Amino acid sequence: MLKYFFKRVGRGCVSVVIAVSIIMVLLFYAMDNTLIFSEDEQYAKLANNQKISYMYTTWEKYGYLDLISYNDYLNELVAKGEMDEEFKSTIASIGRTAEQDPEAAKPYIQQYLDYCEENGYTVKRLDAVMANSKRIATGGAAMLFAYINTPVHERVWDFFSSLLTFDDINYVEEDIGERGLTFTWYDPAYGGEKFSPAILGNGTLHKYLLYFDQYFPYVHQNFVKLTLGTSFSVNKGVDVFQTMTQRQGTYVPTTTYYPTGLVAESADDLHSAIYAPGSRELNLVLADRYTDDYTNINLHKDSKSKIFYSFIISILASFFTYLLGLPLGILMAKKKDTWVDNLGNAYVIFMIAVPSLAYYFMFKAVAVKIGLPVIFSLDNPTVLMYITPVVASLASSVAGTMKWMRRYMVDQMNSDYVKFARAEGLSEFEIFAKHIFKNAAIPITHGLPNTIIMALSGSIMMERIYTIPGVGGLLVEAIGAYDNQVIVGVALFYGVLSIISAVLGDITMAIMDPRISFTTKAR
Amino acid sequence: MTETKEKLFDLAHTGLTDEQLFQRAPQDAAAVEKIVAPRYSYWRSVGRVFFSKKSNILVIAMMVLILVFTYIYPTFTGYDKFENIMDPLSKHLTPAAAIEKYGFHIKWIFGTGESGQSTFDALWYGSRISISLAILCTIINFSIGIMIGALWGFSKKVDIIMNEIRNVIANVPGTLVTSVLVLVFSPNFATLVFAMCVTGWIGIAYSIRTQVIIIRDREYNLASKCLGTSTLRIATKNILPFMISFIVTMMANSLPGYIGSEAFLSYIGLGISDTTLGKLVYNAQPAMVTPGWGWEFWCPVMLSAFISIVLFLVGQSLGDAADPRTHML
Repeated sequence: MLKYFFKRVGRGCVSVVIAVSIIMVLLFYAMDNTLIFSEDEQYAKLANNQKISYMYTTWEKYGYLDLISYNDYLNELVAKGEMDEEFKSTIASIGRTAEQDPEAAKPYIQQYLDYCEENGYTVKRLDAVMANSKRIATGGAAMLFAYINTPVHERVWDFFSSLLTFDDINYVEEDIGERGLTFTWYDPAYGGEKFSPAILGNGTLHKYLLYFDQYFPYVHQNFVKLTLGTSFSVNKGVDVFQTMTQRQGTYVPTTTYYPTGLVAESADDLHSAIYAPGSRELNLVLADRYTDDYTNINLHKDSKSKIFYSFIISILASFFTYLLGLPLGILMAKKKDTWVDNLGNAYVIFMIAVPSLAYYFMFKAVAVKIGLPVIFSLDNPTVLMYITPVVASLASSVAGTMKWMRRYMVDQMNSDYVKFARAEGLSEFEIFAKHIFKNAAIPITHGLPNTIIMALSGSIMMERIYTIPGVGGLLVEAIGAYDNQVIVGVALFYGVLSIISAVLGDITMAIMDPRISFTTKAR
Repeated sequence: MTETKEKLFDLAHTGLTDEQLFQRAPQDAAAVEKIVAPRYSYWRSVGRVFFSKKSNILVIAMMVLILVFTYIYPTFTGYDKFENIMDPLSKHLTPAAAIEKYGFHIKWIFGTGESGQSTFDALWYGSRISISLAILCTIINFSIGIMIGALWGFSKKVDIIMNEIRNVIANVPGTLVTSVLVLVFSPNFATLVFAMCVTGWIGIAYSIRTQVIIIRDREYNLASKCLGTSTLRIATKNILPFMISFIVTMMANSLPGYIGSEAFLSYIGLGISDTTLGKLVYNAQPAMVTPGWGWEFWCPVMLSAFISIVLFLVGQSLGDAADPRTHML
């Protein structure tokens, strides 16, 4: 049994890796790279050479290519000790065109070009763009850099190898004093008097490595972080997983105890502090509040995370699906070939045939008519706003449950053991409850873990139609904005969820039905 | 009565011998083998069963109506989205207002859209692409699916490889694959067909495989195999007829599915630039909540629902009729 599941999980992982790799190849290599800037405001503002330079630096940041500019190359030489800073500054500037390069710099530029050629980099030289004969146009300064596209296998490897990042005390490169972890019973973020165990780090990326707070699941850790890819446009610079799990909405100011002893009403969540080198020197407010450079913090917000909304709606819908679908399916099977059965069948056919887009809108229109809220608003949340999306997704899934439950019940009703039980003189109720239902429910339970786990992924269309701030909507948003990292991250997330649910489904079925065993060869 | 019969059999009065009276009939080896039974033609029986139900005639009439309006009507009227673009008074008209403005014509019975175009014409023009897409995807997916599914069911080696391939594909949601493909290649009709077919066949092939495995080892096939029938003949003559009803039912389920996914892709902004039913819904979204503009939104929604249901019902009834077990008189 155990062996079977390990094998199954292993295979699932391999298949997800392959599938995600294919998606990565499609997105990063088959798609036009410039499309990612379609929603970028900064890109739209830039002009001339600066725009091109911005494109290349962005591509480097998001792993498309490796960039080495002439300046980087010179800096490398300085670091190696082949020249000093002062000498470097004399040769660092290039001319408006290749012919106009300063004489002193020419041999070094040539050396740079040779170096690039040797290592397979493609050199890009941008001549200065002139506004008139004397003045250089905005963003038109001459540029010299070289790039090499990241090979597919390297990119895929980078993605999977950096999925889990472990924080360690040597993360910070600057001198930060004594590195190490300290354990305290009294969390300083609560003023140091409230009992709340925490582990604090110095030299690590996160200041708080383990802490308690008021948000589910109440105890949090920062030792290991899941990184699915950094968003480019949907939630710029933030990891996909964090985008899915972090709270959203408006800020909630609370009494905050800053490390310097300052107490203020602020939405700052001190537990999320990340190291930001030199931040206190640049910002007086930060200097006033913090004693070290762990100043990059998130804010307390009043609404739950994307994943929470997706999950809660899908789970409610699934709960009611089973609650309604199972009895209705049983009723249809019991009253087979009567008007009840026909009505149920008509409903099932209607739900299968009609495009979901159509009936989601029908529900929306009906909800508007009877005065239910159809827009999911985080500003004034009510319980009522859950009703329409839950009912809408319930309507179609109930049809599926009814269809299958009826089918399984009818199949079981015609089997020999039922006839035998009847011949034995068991009551109809006993036959139904103890024999038929028990057997008919087995295939249904197989789908149960799938329903629960997949609830985390939300529904793409429903979340868009009812403007639910959930995970499904995130994918649509990412597709609309060409945010490829997010698409890949969400794809991996979906893939992993489907493996887990498939394996859990097998386990549930094996528990429910003692006849099923995965140890012997089935075929 | 009995007396006349007695008389008939009494041949003594003729005075002829048995040899003169009777002649031995020649024995025909071929005729011995002939079984006298009503002629059975599979497709004729399918037609008979299908049309014996009154509701099926209604459904098929509706399908013909849809196809006529989808493929023939637009060639007569010609759809021009911008025919009334210069006339600001022609926009977002209700049916009554449009008929009042332009006089009664079938074109105006659903009012006008955001650029003064006829909603009725737009509907049929859009459904042409949606229905073509659904039919084309169904044909491609089922051709590939049936062929691979048959191989998959018959060969143990293919089974092992295909199961692994299916595991890879099944772990990624189909909508994700389709959206990514449409995103990567520019969205047009060919891309949409490609994106829906790239992974669409695998589910069909898997169902076919399961059916093949169930039927493959039945006694009659075992007997056929012992008599030396080739695998190809077993597949095409013994198994395929058994599965026609299954395949037709599955097609009935998938046709509305493709119309739905096209609508979905258009809705999330990945549809093709040309007018489709999904695109009409997408474009008319703001009209849904605006009083008086409802027609231009609800018409494409309702039409796609109507087309889907009709196609589904035709397929279901055809699937029932294609099952040889319903052919008994």
